[in-house]
Amino acid sequence: MQLFIEIYGFLSVVLRGFILAAQSVSVGGLAFLLLLVWPLADALGPSGAVLERRALRLVFLSACGLVAAEALAAASLTLMLAGTLDIPVREAAEARAVAVDLMAALLGAVVALSAWRGRRGGVAIRSAAPVLAALLIGVQAGATHAVSQFEGALALAGAELLHMGGAAVWIGGIPYFLMALTDVADPRARAEIASRFSVMAAGAVAALLAGGLLMAAYYVGAPEALYGASYGVMLSAKIVLFLGLLFLGGLNFLAVRKLRNEPAGPLLRTRRFAETEIGVGLTVIFCAASLASLPPARDLPNDRASFAEIVDRLEPRLPVRLDSPDFEALSAALPAEATKDLPPGTQPRRAADIAWSEYNHHWAGLFVVAMGVMALLERMSRRLAPIMRHWPLVFIGLAGFLFLRADESVWPLGRLGLIESLRDPEIAQHRLLTLLIVAFGLFEWRVRLGRVTKWWAPYVFPISTATAAAFLLTHSHALTNLKEETLIEITHTPLALVGVAAGWSRWLELRLDGEAKKIAGFVWPVAFILAGLMLVFYREA
Amino acid sequence: MGLFRLVSLVACLALTGGGAEAHAIVLNSTPRPDAIVSGRELAIEIRFNSRIDAGRSHIKLFGREGAAVSLPLDESASEDMLKARATGLAPGSYRLHWQTLSPDGHISQGDIPFRVDR
Repeated sequence: MQLFIEIYGFLSVVLRGFILAAQSVSVGGLAFLLLLVWPLADALGPSGAVLERRALRLVFLSACGLVAAEALAAASLTLMLAGTLDIPVREAAEARAVAVDLMAALLGAVVALSAWRGRRGGVAIRSAAPVLAALLIGVQAGATHAVSQFEGALALAGAELLHMGGAAVWIGGIPYFLMALTDVADPRARAEIASRFSVMAAGAVAALLAGGLLMAAYYVGAPEALYGASYGVMLSAKIVLFLGLLFLGGLNFLAVRKLRNEPAGPLLRTRRFAETEIGVGLTVIFCAASLASLPPARDLPNDRASFAEIVDRLEPRLPVRLDSPDFEALSAALPAEATKDLPPGTQPRRAADIAWSEYNHHWAGLFVVAMGVMALLERMSRRLAPIMRHWPLVFIGLAGFLFLRADESVWPLGRLGLIESLRDPEIAQHRLLTLLIVAFGLFEWRVRLGRVTKWWAPYVFPISTATAAAFLLTHSHALTNLKEETLIEITHTPLALVGVAAGWSRWLELRLDGEAKKIAGFVWPVAFILAGLMLVFYREA
Repeated sequence: MGLFRLVSLVACLALTGGGAEAHAIVLNSTPRPDAIVSGRELAIEIRFNSRIDAGRSHIKLFGREGAAVSLPLDESASEDMLKARATGLAPGSYRLHWQTLSPDGHISQGDIPFRVDR
């Protein structure tokens, strides 16, 4: 049961992320059809019909995804409650949150069905779209922090509505905007769509910001909670990502203005920035799901990390730990009887355990710095480029290090043999991960050498990096030691943010041309170096 | 957090991480953690930072032998509180394990260790 509880913790945050993403794309699509495609039908001509069909297809698919994710969320919460509380399944299924999930699934099914019929010529969706979109967002607001509050529940639910609605119309609308840029051939109609979408997005950003500010003021309470509590740290990460999105949106706004004066002008940058906006937008949505699983910072006035504690944890200190403590000094060397009565996760950590973990982080950081420096030199020095282009091979060095060092109880450090250790699922998972890192490094190396020529191969690296960074933000919170958890978030959240920057700048390097491509090509190696330095100076106490 | 836990997260294989997703947190409780109490009976009160669904919550008492007893919850408790009564307590170490559901669907749980001394 403990394993199920742990899996549920992670699964529920990821599911919430999928639900918010699917809901945003569904509602964003309905808003796009309602405010752009249908009113501009005459100006768009035949390409308008093509765009409508494609948009309805994406609305259908995202609504189906919403139905599946909501059903899974309802089922997993019901099972979790029935299993842990020893109550009948029916009683567990009567929980308010389960009802909200089921209602949202039902609404999702109605949206999917309407979109499906709309693709076959049905017009019911045209009048139903605003009601369905509002209901979807409204129902979802029924399962947020707001409903648990005693004070200001109504105002907070209203703020949630504005926030989620704004995110859906803006971020959820971008895939449809990209479709329009591809499908609409007439430059004047395309410029009109771009201009309208710009206005629509600006309104959505205003709504998102207004709702977000109201919630932040209530849930965070004091400026020092923005860095001293996990909720504040996650919110700060969300704000940084939001600023990144605004920057990309601003670039698009300028491109759209240019398009108005010169309708037949180039569209490449607008498309590429929009693609990146989708990626960063999805990361923000998953970050929001993670944020929703945390108690508001306002409720934790006594468990916050102070500014001095944060500076002490983050301040780079030399020398870094490149010498490992002896195995005999680690808790793993203790006989099993010494800790058998302690619940999982509560075993005390010795100073040597912390030193051992820091040693591992610092060495791993050196590998990551090496990759970033090599990738940077590849771009800066023609003489060194032929050697530096082999930087993905450093992944194999990192994997080798992790293979030897990751599990202290296994050979060559511990008493467990290699084969024997594979019976432990966690150790087996680590071994699998090591193999994945080797495969990933070799794959990217072959891509760089031009030995893998599939069109999708170069995108594996940026997508994996950006996804991994998003997952680093989307983790469950154990909350056994609130201050310690905040200090961990403070070290890990910046890693995730530079990961997002690295992934999407590499994407832009692949997708853009000219000067913009060159700039993006410098951003991601620098982000790698920063991530490596964070690991090199990582401290656990 | 160990390096491999971090790398596991980074590699999207994060199923090993964390505990149950949490939202409701304990503001105060009777007994307080690590309290020493006397008497054979104990009135238990756990107050949270937000509304909770007491119908989908529980308090379990773990005694010295490790066996758990589910304590019936007092239905008259306010919307942010779990109330129960433990009876027949002998001297020794005990642990209260609570689990609760917030109306927004978040499950949280925790332990309150205490001692009975006479």
